Amino acid sequence: MIPEISFVLDGSIVTIDFTKPSSRGPTTTVLNYLRSLPGHKGVKEGCAEGDCGACTVVLGELVGNKSIRYKSADSCLLFLPMIHGRQLITVENLKDPSGELHPVQSAMVESSGSQCGFCTPGIVMSLFSLYKSTDHPTRLQIDDALTGNLCRCTGYKPIIEAAAHACVHKGLDHLSRDYSRIVGLLKSIPQAPIHIKTKLQSYFKPTSLSAVFSHRRQHPDAVIVSGATDVALRVTKKHELIPEIIDLSDIAELKAITNTATTLTIGAGVTLTEAMPRIEHDFPALYKMLSVFGSQQIRNLATFGGNLGSASPIGDALPVLMAYGAKVVLKRPNGKRDVSLDDYFLGYRKTARAANELITAIVIPKLKNGAAVRSYKISKRKDLDISTLSGGFRLDAKNSGTVKNIVLAYGGMAERTKRATTAEQFLVGKQWNRQTVERAMPLIDKDFTPISDARAGAEFRKVAARNLLLKFWTDTVMNE
Amino acid sequence: MNTPPHESGEKHVTGEAVYIDDIPVNAQLLAGRVVYSPHAHARIVSFDLSQAKKVLGVHAVLCHKDIPGHNQMGPVVKDEPCLAMDEVVCIGQAVFLIAAETEEQCLEAEKKIKIKYELLEPILTLEKAIEKNNLLGPPRTMHRGDAEAALKSSPHTIKGVLRTGAQEHWYLETQICLCVPGEGKEINVFSSTQHPSETQALIAGVLGVGKHDVVVEVRRMGGAFGGKETQGNHAACWSALLCNATKRPVKVRLFRDDDQKMTGKRHRILAKYEVGFDDDGMLNAFKVEVNSDAGCATDLSFAILERTMLHTDNCYYVPNFSILARAWKTNLPSNTAFRGFGGPQGMAIAETAVDRVARFLKKDAAEIRHKNFYGIESRNVTQYGQTVENNRLFLLYDQLMKSSEYSRRKREVNEFNAANEFQKKGLAITPVKFGISFTTTYLNQAGALVNVYKDGTILVNHGGTEMGQGLHTKIHQIAAAEFGVSLDKVKVNATNTSKVPNTSPTAASAGADLNGMAVKNAIDTLKSRIATAMVQIFLDENPDIPSLHNSIVFKDDWIIDSDHPERKILFSDAMPLMNLRQVSLSATGFYKTPNIEWDKKKSWGRPFNYYAFGMCVSEVMIDVLTGQHTLLRTDILHDVGDSLNPAIDMGQVEGGYIQGVGWCTTEEIKWDDKGNLLTHSPDTYKIPSVQDIPKDFRVELLQGVPNPNAIRKSKAVAEPPLMLALSTWLAIKDAISAVADHELEPEFALPATNEVILLSIENLKARMRSSDGEAVLKAPLTAKTSRSKT
Repeated sequence: MIPEISFVLDGSIVTIDFTKPSSRGPTTTVLNYLRSLPGHKGVKEGCAEGDCGACTVVLGELVGNKSIRYKSADSCLLFLPMIHGRQLITVENLKDPSGELHPVQSAMVESSGSQCGFCTPGIVMSLFSLYKSTDHPTRLQIDDALTGNLCRCTGYKPIIEAAAHACVHKGLDHLSRDYSRIVGLLKSIPQAPIHIKTKLQSYFKPTSLSAVFSHRRQHPDAVIVSGATDVALRVTKKHELIPEIIDLSDIAELKAITNTATTLTIGAGVTLTEAMPRIEHDFPALYKMLSVFGSQQIRNLATFGGNLGSASPIGDALPVLMAYGAKVVLKRPNGKRDVSLDDYFLGYRKTARAANELITAIVIPKLKNGAAVRSYKISKRKDLDISTLSGGFRLDAKNSGTVKNIVLAYGGMAERTKRATTAEQFLVGKQWNRQTVERAMPLIDKDFTPISDARAGAEFRKVAARNLLLKFWTDTVMNE
Repeated sequence: MNTPPHESGEKHVTGEAVYIDDIPVNAQLLAGRVVYSPHAHARIVSFDLSQAKKVLGVHAVLCHKDIPGHNQMGPVVKDEPCLAMDEVVCIGQAVFLIAAETEEQCLEAEKKIKIKYELLEPILTLEKAIEKNNLLGPPRTMHRGDAEAALKSSPHTIKGVLRTGAQEHWYLETQICLCVPGEGKEINVFSSTQHPSETQALIAGVLGVGKHDVVVEVRRMGGAFGGKETQGNHAACWSALLCNATKRPVKVRLFRDDDQKMTGKRHRILAKYEVGFDDDGMLNAFKVEVNSDAGCATDLSFAILERTMLHTDNCYYVPNFSILARAWKTNLPSNTAFRGFGGPQGMAIAETAVDRVARFLKKDAAEIRHKNFYGIESRNVTQYGQTVENNRLFLLYDQLMKSSEYSRRKREVNEFNAANEFQKKGLAITPVKFGISFTTTYLNQAGALVNVYKDGTILVNHGGTEMGQGLHTKIHQIAAAEFGVSLDKVKVNATNTSKVPNTSPTAASAGADLNGMAVKNAIDTLKSRIATAMVQIFLDENPDIPSLHNSIVFKDDWIIDSDHPERKILFSDAMPLMNLRQVSLSATGFYKTPNIEWDKKKSWGRPFNYYAFGMCVSEVMIDVLTGQHTLLRTDILHDVGDSLNPAIDMGQVEGGYIQGVGWCTTEEIKWDDKGNLLTHSPDTYKIPSVQDIPKDFRVELLQGVPNPNAIRKSKAVAEPPLMLALSTWLAIKDAISAVADHELEPEFALPATNEVILLSIENLKARMRSSDGEAVLKAPLTAKTSRSKT
């Protein structure tokens, strides 16, 4: 195990030894680290919670042995050890050494894409990530690349234009010239387990599940992070000094995606970005939900394991996973079990996972003969907003048009993801028509006592929850 | 004129642009922290700072007793203590200040502060403030004709209530100030402020020193939107006090959530209105009562309320007008300037009334609006006595109705709505007329200091500040054009109170108008001096025929005698000669707006130098089952006179409109019953993101309309476009109304969140059920519905 981390910055390997007395702690964010350097003030703090994107950086990750995949990320949500073995690219690295602006930079200047300029470095980095991944992007791809970046001045139009103008060079730029050297540098960084111990904190980043289990036995109170888009806020917003952390982001066993004739199994450490292309075909309702899940910067970090582990009552992906009949795979040192999502959520951020168990995967059964699944998200703002409420619904109907089985799972309506069982029971065996659906709608009230909060009032939640059933009905009727 | 990109564009995109948090400071820098009240209203019984002061790394923990000068930072009325004394009046009010070597040490010290509060009853809503008669100051009125009598004699009247919500500025750069001690009493202040002179004055006040000891500099702000017109002063005063106490550099930077909790917002209002009109929809009387939530102190609330009164007509001539406006005091952070400065609230009232008149008469609202526009020759005097000159409304209306294909789309919207039960579309056109000038008349002044150096380079100082709006870019262009030199010869300096003193805030959209003229004035002085010397120089060479002073022109980097074009010299070659001939190459400039007068007591006069106009058509679609809306298309035509820089002006129009869309739709501010802000971070407070802009977004500047009243025939732009978003708001209402086939007046409020939309639809459905059974709800689902977007 190594007590230090290494990554590539400004074209060379930087190593941070946390044991030096003058050193910072391991939960220092990449944002704060960069801003402490003289040459990286371009990265800005706008919110410190991953909602504004002013701190966007791009991480270069080695894929296989010779290529680098570039991903945007909110540096305010990254703990330093999370970038071990990666290339950290900031706005200062985009200009060609000759002094020429990068195509995304010059396009932004030409289109008047900056006004106050404070969000601009983050926007430039999101555009750079798009530039490297997508040639001639569609408007949808441009919007998606920029959803995680708030701009209060421009109204975004010139930024969209800049993206369209710039991303036409097949990703080629001055970084391409230095590519093989950077690959070499990344390969030279050892991928060994990391254990950083300072006076106040212990940060463990193992590379195998068995190491996780043994470490947990010794440190039962350690916080597990898998993407950290939620846990990071405890540091940036509540100023907590988390004493013990186990970071799962380097465990290959958690990163597998297995596709069989009947199921798709997604490892707990797979990020939403990695999973989405594998989900799109067989699970369109889940895909739809993920495409409005946070932003690209968030999805590049967030994992299924994290979403299931934090078990938030408004966890966006959870109701639709429930509708698909997904199961959580829980492993313990000497065995494993599959738990249906129906049995998994017990209460507010409380789950059936035992203290010695770890979420290792989610298994999603493929739909059989004509079952219909839909997902709905209602939020104040369409994108990068947490659901006010959400629904994941499934209908299995007989040929006669009667309901064989129905799942009406809701998020944001109770302390956990929860099904409208009264309405479900009413509907089973009845004709799937508007009349029965409208009779079932008021029954949804029986299973929920929604709250009023910053996002909406209880009455709105109640009305919208009922209406979603009608919406589901129209969608099932219309698409057949 | 050339239209260069933003003068800092390259610095923005490379990350090289320096904001206050990026200024290199030596290792002595201390972090400043503000400890604020957790209670909306309480008496401070006792406190003990001794343990906090002992925390390692802590250099100062200050309370109000430690303020060497006046404990005051109210900009107009002195009702805002810099640090609370015996009472706190809102959550977020500063009570103590801490300076320590690290932010962590500040936090640790904060935990060790002991303070005992005795809770008092807070006033947290306008209703409660009104019930308790908690007025901030005397009510204001504005009258023309006899509204009461005219309402009685009007064929129709409509009464209503409108609420508009607060809005958080959400500048990307939170409030921040860095203070560096100089020698003796001197202090150098790097502040994110729209009003450096006021920042300077308030710091001098709290420190008890002369203004000449305080230098405030502003390179750029990371957004402001009015939020740093007065409230940038707060962080500045706090860091100045800590700097003074420790004699070390101190930076106070508000964390995002703290910024949202501590600073004021756009004023929410509760308005009552009654409008009288005839069968054709001609407005005859308008009676308006405005109640504005000022928060816990005065700040700029009365000037903002005044602008609300001055814009309740928007673009409509109403012969009989009566406005009663009151600002109420509540236990919330003091509300403050925000782009539009009360104008949006006034216009929302006007547009609501006109919209309702049209719905009542079952006529297209566009037609009613057009009919009631201020006239060109007659019906052209506002309710406060100013004649609407250079009226562009008809020009805008005719062009925009055509280019937006309003009539065709109106038909299509109706067809769509007839065929779809669960999706409804709405369409609306609304106009904007916005008065340009500070209504506090004396503020309409600006200063400049222009230095020319011997190498021919020019340094322009002026009193305006750069917050992204492109003011420095425009000043840069103006200076280069006036001197007839290329842009690279001119640099616009950071705004600095030691260069240009006693300035007005950069606000009221007037930054380029005022400062551009002041810069021109300084340049005219310099050119005259230079011309005098050039006449002499040319005379030395041509003793027979002297050059005329008036014939010396500055063009294409040359100084030329236009009567004898062979007599010329490069500007840069001429400047060393000026120095040899003992010509001063530094000049100040000054400008005050002419021909404006405003009698605040009578609410009568000519408060504005001119008006800016704009118009907007929005089309939206709402999901009847979820209340979510989609902005399908927006067409804007906006008047900026002869644009100084079309790219920058377009950016202001588009950005202002989208900011207005936020105010009208998703930006909802909520407090709990203790006065805690619930929407205190971008997690719950939702400004528009890239996917919230219109799917089809068409913006044009009105061409061929020079403005005789401002620099280079241009027109102010910053604020007016925000109010174009009222068309989006009313398009949403139009879509809701379609649920009941436009037979019933929907409940509506601003912002129209999905919650407001859905509950309004539910209310319509309930009213339909009670009036004509369940007919509408049971309408068969037609096949066409299936093709609509889900």
